[in-house]
Amino acid sequence: MSSHVSAIREPLVYGHKDYHQITEDLVAPTERTPSKSWVLAFIISVAVLAFGVYTVTYTIYWGIGTWNLNRTIGWGWDITNFVWWIGIGHAGTLISAILLLFRQRWRTGVNRAAEAMTIFAVMCAGLFPLIHVGRAWVVFFFFPYPNTRGPLWPNFVSPLLWDVFAISTYFTISVLFWYSGLVPDLATVRDRAKGLRKKMYSLFSFGWKGSAKNWQRFESLSLVLAGLATPLVLSVHTIVSFDFATSVIPGWHTTIFPPYFVAGAVFSGFAMVLTLMLIARKLLNLRDYITVSHIESMNKIILVTGTIVGVAYITELFIAWYSGYVYEQFAFLNRAKGIYYWSYVGMMFNNVVVPQLFWFKKIRTSVFWTFLLSIAVNIGMWFERFVIIPTSIARDYLPSSWSYYIPTWVEVGIFIGTMGLFFTLFLAFTRLAPVVAIAEVKSILKEYGDQYLPKKQENI
Amino acid sequence: MKDKKNQFWLGTDDLNRIPEFIEEAAAERRDEPLANLAEDEKTFQVQASRRDFLKFLGFSLGAATVAAGCDIPVKKAMPYVVRPDSIVPGVATYYASSFVHGGDYCPILVKTREGRPIKIEGNTLSPVTGGGTSARAQAFVLDLYDTSRLQAPGKLTADGKVEKTDWATLDRDAKAAFATGGVRILTNTVMSPATKAAIAEFKAKYPDTRVVTIDPVSSSAMLLANEATFGSRFIPGYRFDKAHAIVSFGADFLGTWISPVEFAAQYVKNRKPTEKNRHMSWHAQVESRMSLTGSNADNRIMVKPSEQGAAILTLYNAIALRAGQSGLPGPTLKGKAGKALNKAADRLWNNRGQSLVVSGSNNTAEQILINGINQLLGNYGHTIDLTVTSNQRQGIDKDYYQLIDDMKAGRVNALIVMDANPAFTRPRAKAFLDGMKKVKFKVALGTHLNETAAACDYVAPVHHGLESWGDVEPKRGQYSFIQPTIAPLFDTRQREVSLLTWADSPKLNPNAEQPMLEFLKNEWKARLNLNGNFQKQWDKMLHDGVYTVRYDAKIPDFNFDPALVIGKISKPASDGMEIDFYEDFRVGAGQYANNPWLLELPDATTRTVWGNYLQIPIEWNGGNSFSALNGLNPEEFKGWADIVELTVGDRTERVTVIRQFGQMKDTVALSMGYGRRVIGEAGKNTGVDVVPWLWVDRDGNTQYYATGVKVSGKVDEEKYLPSVQYHHSLGVTGTDPKTGKKINVDEKTLMLLGAGMQGGLTDRSVMYQTNVKDLDEFLEHLHEKRKEAEELNANTLYPYEKYKKEQYEEGHHWGMHIDLNACIGCGACAVACMAENNVPVVGKREVARHHEMTWLRIDRYFYGDYENPNVVYQPMMCQHCDNAPCENVCPANATNHSSEGLNQMAYNRCVGTRYCANNCPYKVRRFNWLDYTTADIFKENQVYVNKEDLAYGADNLTRMVLNPDVTVRARGVIEKCSFCVQRLQEGKLLAKKEGRKLLDSDVKSACQTACPTEAIVIGDLNNKDGDLNRRRRDSLNFIALEEVNVRSSVMYKTRVNHRDEALDA
Repeated sequence: MSSHVSAIREPLVYGHKDYHQITEDLVAPTERTPSKSWVLAFIISVAVLAFGVYTVTYTIYWGIGTWNLNRTIGWGWDITNFVWWIGIGHAGTLISAILLLFRQRWRTGVNRAAEAMTIFAVMCAGLFPLIHVGRAWVVFFFFPYPNTRGPLWPNFVSPLLWDVFAISTYFTISVLFWYSGLVPDLATVRDRAKGLRKKMYSLFSFGWKGSAKNWQRFESLSLVLAGLATPLVLSVHTIVSFDFATSVIPGWHTTIFPPYFVAGAVFSGFAMVLTLMLIARKLLNLRDYITVSHIESMNKIILVTGTIVGVAYITELFIAWYSGYVYEQFAFLNRAKGIYYWSYVGMMFNNVVVPQLFWFKKIRTSVFWTFLLSIAVNIGMWFERFVIIPTSIARDYLPSSWSYYIPTWVEVGIFIGTMGLFFTLFLAFTRLAPVVAIAEVKSILKEYGDQYLPKKQENI
Repeated sequence: MKDKKNQFWLGTDDLNRIPEFIEEAAAERRDEPLANLAEDEKTFQVQASRRDFLKFLGFSLGAATVAAGCDIPVKKAMPYVVRPDSIVPGVATYYASSFVHGGDYCPILVKTREGRPIKIEGNTLSPVTGGGTSARAQAFVLDLYDTSRLQAPGKLTADGKVEKTDWATLDRDAKAAFATGGVRILTNTVMSPATKAAIAEFKAKYPDTRVVTIDPVSSSAMLLANEATFGSRFIPGYRFDKAHAIVSFGADFLGTWISPVEFAAQYVKNRKPTEKNRHMSWHAQVESRMSLTGSNADNRIMVKPSEQGAAILTLYNAIALRAGQSGLPGPTLKGKAGKALNKAADRLWNNRGQSLVVSGSNNTAEQILINGINQLLGNYGHTIDLTVTSNQRQGIDKDYYQLIDDMKAGRVNALIVMDANPAFTRPRAKAFLDGMKKVKFKVALGTHLNETAAACDYVAPVHHGLESWGDVEPKRGQYSFIQPTIAPLFDTRQREVSLLTWADSPKLNPNAEQPMLEFLKNEWKARLNLNGNFQKQWDKMLHDGVYTVRYDAKIPDFNFDPALVIGKISKPASDGMEIDFYEDFRVGAGQYANNPWLLELPDATTRTVWGNYLQIPIEWNGGNSFSALNGLNPEEFKGWADIVELTVGDRTERVTVIRQFGQMKDTVALSMGYGRRVIGEAGKNTGVDVVPWLWVDRDGNTQYYATGVKVSGKVDEEKYLPSVQYHHSLGVTGTDPKTGKKINVDEKTLMLLGAGMQGGLTDRSVMYQTNVKDLDEFLEHLHEKRKEAEELNANTLYPYEKYKKEQYEEGHHWGMHIDLNACIGCGACAVACMAENNVPVVGKREVARHHEMTWLRIDRYFYGDYENPNVVYQPMMCQHCDNAPCENVCPANATNHSSEGLNQMAYNRCVGTRYCANNCPYKVRRFNWLDYTTADIFKENQVYVNKEDLAYGADNLTRMVLNPDVTVRARGVIEKCSFCVQRLQEGKLLAKKEGRKLLDSDVKSACQTACPTEAIVIGDLNNKDGDLNRRRRDSLNFIALEEVNVRSSVMYKTRVNHRDEALDA
């Protein structure tokens, strides 16, 4: 472990922590009575979730006609939200898998929360394909289960079926990765707990002893899972993009989609991690563990991916013009100038212009600006999906069928409901498990703790 | 063991004769008397523990719940005791009959299944229509199953409710009233000889009876004009097929005027040019609004409604000049319209004897002028037939207004209203209703309660046409029959039977099984006078449904008296806004306004449903967007429309507006037929009643326009504008005010941020149109584009020709051809499709949300000058692509390809992701958003179409119209055109039974049979010599969106117009 640490590295743990102090700091939120702000936040989240449950039930009882989708625009907020949530999940996997393989030490401060976010986001995303269908009670037709109808299999050339596999695989791996990382920390909590709590945590920590063999296997598992998860970072959103790329609709039928979607997913994922972590950092008092240098690193990734996305947007425009194909040209003109021009403006501004502010170190290292910009990116990425999905189909080949779409309260309610689900789960998570990976932070303390790193100025 | 060899044994213990086993086995089989068992205490001892009890409880509760949860459906099926010969379950029987509604007529075949009429087809034996139908005829069958029908004789209470009574009471009161004399029969046009005979019988009994005839929309002026020129009131027969130049002054002869089905078939005969034969008739429409006929015209000469008379006189004078006669004094048109009319006169003059001028004007003098024009052009005897005249309009308005005076003066004691509804269709309704109050006895004969019936004392409900016997003589000597296809559903009585009963006529045998049949047969027996051979002839007539008698009619002399014209032509209003009130081609003057199929059929040009919308002209000032009168409807593309106050005279009403290309500047238009007050469930609360704005001219003719109209700015907003098409044009042009050059306004308006309504790149391979004189140039362009598409499509790993060969060579490969030159946009196919395929009606709000379920729609595109555009209609349905983008995206395999090239839906497999609909380039897939068919698993979530008591389609009566060959789709599944696969299957069976190869004529889709102009043909692409392939070889054909490489099976033929640009100058 102890390798050479560059002299210009910033400390990743502040406050002259020792191992015990780290344990105290990070386990504390699970042990003390919830604060008033937590209780309030939890009540609001559950209330919002309950509204979401109501709107979903309403949809299933009355039908998709309670939404304002129509004969021309078959997908609107439902699939926009689906892709948005899936995209958000990507940061977790990227941090836990790719950054692990690249030995980015700073990931330790944020990986746990990011992975949790991934899982919750995928859960929110997964809801949409299930409820956006006309007959939710037969969604099992999507799965290739043995049956007596011939047997009748699903259509293996349909991108929606690929989605089913991609997302279920992604969810499984993410849960495994997250939970296996949690085991040592749950054991730590167990060791400090008493009574029923102890029993529960010992059950969930699978009898972790902290032996050398335990650690060796833990490390191997992490590596294997990281290896498995790495292609998923790329594949999941690639496959989601196939939902559009393999179609014949101008604005959807675009070969640039896979890399463009992946970059966009990482982009929006990091923005969401930042949004959440900046709140958690303040509320759970984790300033020593989630430092400005963490924030800066993530902002750099946002800057890079945001620029990739911007290049993709411009490439699309160029190709549309270059293709000489009237439908393609119109699709893109329509995005910028048509009925939904405001969503295009929202997308371009928030995704391309706003992240460029991160070129300034002052903004990159400012908690306030980072928070503001992370929200902007989240909104921008939602617009991106909206621009791609309803805007393209609202104005496709036959002008006779052109239509317009504004969501109903039910559609908005379901989206808000998934927010409720997400925050309910996240808030519960902050109370049940350490939000920062204790074992992993301890593993880098001797290299990146502020008391161990030589003072920066002296080293320069 | 040896000795046991031949016995059965129960196991080794038995085989070895173990004593314990033997004893136990014996005890097991012991048959103890019940009494012994009862004595034994153990018998009744329950050895169940508390745990067992809970187990039992749990199980039984669970089992009971599961069992109770299984709803065992109650199935009502009653077998025939004696099966009727004519009914074979699963096989349709067709009966020839006629659709008659006042003067509207269409000879039909009625398809019945298991004794239920379910579909109307055209009667191809008819010399009048040749087998076409109209939307109204197609929707006729739905009226039969209308829950709002009058179901028994009734007495009206003071508050307008119908109290049930019986026929005996009604007849007694009626006879008593008629005996006092002063009887008037107020009826719609009667074309039936049998009805006329019944009226004659009635008159014989009650001599003081007079018949007053009106039409829902008046044609009095034509009848009076012909009386003036020819000496008798009649409508001549028109021959649009013989006319090479047609000028119509506001006569919507393809939509509503006299006999649209007949005229449409004639009209398109000269409208189908090919590369070799470019002959094509020329048609100019003189009008202010974009009518159905106007939308098919080559040139539209825009004149305000009040200028129609002046326009007719202008043309008359121009023709008279060419004929070397002097013109007549009076108002004429100068300026653009005047010049255009002079050019039109040239064209007409050059086609003397092969031209036709018609007018929808209801001014007698103007119609006399039209007769004068046709006489000067020598059209009588060529394009206008004075022998086989039409009986389809007989109403004389002034008789009706006289009736009002008579009633007011107390000269009327009893009034019989037969179907007519003047309280709604005629102005001066208040005077009429006041007059009715003075009449002691009023009885209404009709199927429904309407505004007039509600003011009567009694209603005598009549059979629906499909329950009736009858005959019709729509044109002189051309008879057609009506036979019942179902026993009367309710306690109703045919109108003729009522009249004969009241007349105590000896011709009526009330004890007969079918009194009307006997009466009808006797009438015909007398007419034909065939002695013993009558029955055979009668059977043939009924079978064919039509019967023609040749008359040697004397051609009447033509008398043209200028004195009848001079000074009587309507004077053009000096300035100001004018409005045209026109007959809607769907609901007429309101007589069809309770039919959900017609209410949900989009208007041809405005594409709106469920009401009437004020059509306002579109404006463009050279900028980046279109606007409209008063800046109204800026957000029409969102389905939001403005509500304005429309003031005509002293009456102001709130109406919803719609922007309309081709609507003349300073004019607006609003259709009649909506805003009915006393109507069934479907028709209530739809639109605005325009009738109070109508007025009566000096000759007593009702006038259908008004001047001095005020249209306010926006006063309210309609958030649910039920328009199925927001975008209207493919390349309209305008003159750029800055440069003075013609530019493509669609592409210009694309440049505005958020320009919603218009704007688009217009070089789309969706539809093609050309002027006939540019045909060579166009063909080069078309073939170049098609070649380019073919080259693009050839770049594939999956060569199509190889696939096609492997897939379809052995069997059938279904395809379609649609001739855009023949399609006039009448909507008969769209209604036929709804009827054939059980397509649900969804109501105004759902259509406004673009949730309409129509499998077949007629897209309408404007092109050419934005102020005076031409129109192309494009019927659009599933294209049954051989490389269908919908099929590969369905995760459940619910939509797939048949071995005969059909793109088919397995509804039960559909999960409802709507991915297929998104990926359909033609946007023809329809999703069951809500429980439209009331077939959902949840009971109470059905859709109310028009705030009715019981959801439309939820009742067993309406469901009788369903076609049993087509699945009723539940909520949450996608559906779309199937090429009428049930009919294809039937055609295949027919060919197989007859042991021959299938011909294209064996298979006909519902849209094909409904079409009055044979625009649509379906068939087998493998049948090289078939009708389909013959039509598909035309060089003007194209495939919509060919370069997308979806391999559509539908081919369209380019729309060719014959616009004469000289008229635009």
